[in-house]
Amino acid sequence: MKESIYRLCCYVENKPGVLARIVGLISGRGYNIQTLNVGPTEDGTVSRMKIDVLGSERVVNQIILQLRNCVNVIEVTSRRR
Amino acid sequence: MKKSGQRTGAQALVEGLAKAGADVVFGYPGGNVLDIFDAVRESGMRFVLGRHEQGCVHMADGYARSLGRPGVVLVTSGPGLTNTITGLGCANMDGVPIVLVCGQVPLDQIGTDAFQEADTVGLTRAVSKHNFLVKSADEIPETMAQAFYIATHGKPGPVVIDVPRDCQRALTAAKHPERVCLRAYHPEVYATPREVGRLAKLLNEAKRPVIYAGGGVIAADAAGDVTALAHKAQIPVATTMMGIGSIDERDPLALGMSGMYGAPAANIALSEADVILALGVRFNDRTTGFSPGMSRRAKIVHVDCDASSINKNVTVHLGIVADVKDLLATVDSRIRPAEHSVWAARLAAERAADEARNPRPCAAVLPTDVIVATDVGEHQLWAVRNVPHVYPRHFLSSGGMGAMGFGIPAAIGAAIARPGHPVVALVGDGGAQMTGEELAVAVEHNLAVVFVVFVNRSLGLVRRMQDEEFGGRRFATDLVSPDFVRLARAYGMKGVRAKGVESLPSALARSLKSKSPTLVEVIL
Repeated sequence: MKESIYRLCCYVENKPGVLARIVGLISGRGYNIQTLNVGPTEDGTVSRMKIDVLGSERVVNQIILQLRNCVNVIEVTSRRR
Repeated sequence: MKKSGQRTGAQALVEGLAKAGADVVFGYPGGNVLDIFDAVRESGMRFVLGRHEQGCVHMADGYARSLGRPGVVLVTSGPGLTNTITGLGCANMDGVPIVLVCGQVPLDQIGTDAFQEADTVGLTRAVSKHNFLVKSADEIPETMAQAFYIATHGKPGPVVIDVPRDCQRALTAAKHPERVCLRAYHPEVYATPREVGRLAKLLNEAKRPVIYAGGGVIAADAAGDVTALAHKAQIPVATTMMGIGSIDERDPLALGMSGMYGAPAANIALSEADVILALGVRFNDRTTGFSPGMSRRAKIVHVDCDASSINKNVTVHLGIVADVKDLLATVDSRIRPAEHSVWAARLAAERAADEARNPRPCAAVLPTDVIVATDVGEHQLWAVRNVPHVYPRHFLSSGGMGAMGFGIPAAIGAAIARPGHPVVALVGDGGAQMTGEELAVAVEHNLAVVFVVFVNRSLGLVRRMQDEEFGGRRFATDLVSPDFVRLARAYGMKGVRAKGVESLPSALARSLKSKSPTLVEVIL
């Protein structure tokens, strides 16, 4: 299946361990994160993560659904780069 | 100086357990968790001391699976926690609600390689639904409420709470929340009217429909709803291993378990159906990855509370993210009564032929309300086909993880959860040597469990794979096993020997009458 780079944009609760959980969910499935950018939003209790991963549409959709299952993840969107 | 309304973090934690309805704690003490143990002692809550932390988690798992309420585990830091990993992974894969509390070194020692320190949140991340590191006693009441909420809502699973020793000791006046509010976790999911309409249309127009029921049916307590739908529209029901109990096997519409080791009628139904209503299943490779497998022409409707399980292993015609029980209640009025007489008769004939070929003498001596826990291996597959499956939550098996060592402690947990029910553990001599130490717990609590150990002095299922895939080059699959009858007696329980599976029914019948822990060694 054709692979592309997808940029995932995650809004997450700003708590210790959340970054590790999200990175672990992606890397634990054997997918390499190409770029990772984490920063605060105007609401200090929410962080925004921008994650670039290389994968097929099917796999990336699966990752997004599993990210949404995470207790600390507020919202995930994605677009192909 | 204690002010009014104050108590220690440990006491607040045990209050949180009681508030969540917990009545039993399974666990093992150690230096960094003694304040919580003291609070459990003070509360008078029932405590079951395992003999190994893996056994403690499997006991809580057997308790939760058989009762439908979360199991509670309490262990110490470091090795106490690392020993629970297999148990957590097993519960996580099968969606079993567990709340595991573990001690931790004091906050200011975290990260210093202190004695019995382990990175609990790091270690348990991949084998739990969620985990918490408590940073102050004031957080404990809210964390407890959140942990029970997360463990039991959405797809259930284990939640770990890591509690540093100083937080257990500190005083807090924090109150228990009346309701849980999680900012980012909203597991309530509902089907859209359009989805309900499409589902009803597909079922109403189906010529050869089949319901394919999985663990999600059991977890949602929807077995009665599945049976009602099956009766109304005359739809046969195949199950996964986790879905056993979704329909009473004596029902004419029950086809049994599908898959590599399943019943022919169930596999034929799935390979020839035109509409498959898959409820709370994961389309695991044990079911789908073999010939004849699932029909490629069938329209598959997949209902699951977990959006990520839809279209994961099998691409489906219609995916509905919803609670199985809610959905069946919603769609009921749209389903027309139907007959599929040719289809039903064909499957019933397959089932009858299979039953005639495979008599079940053990099922005849087991009461219909027996709770059976299995280990993992050849005997597990034998158990699926040879014990009665009448009620949901009466067949307990490590489905996803396939964790050897599950059977003995899970049976003990079920006997504690459902006193008065006959409980049988079916295990091989491999698994029996992984968690056999928990037999002491059955003796200590005088639990009327019959532990059946099938002794073939080998790891039978692995050996079979060596025979089939490695040209018969058997290696490391022969076992030197103890005399289990003498082992049982050494633990202070009855031990009896049955020569061959053919003498098992009479030994089982006698042992079930004795109402005390008994081990039956079956020499194969």
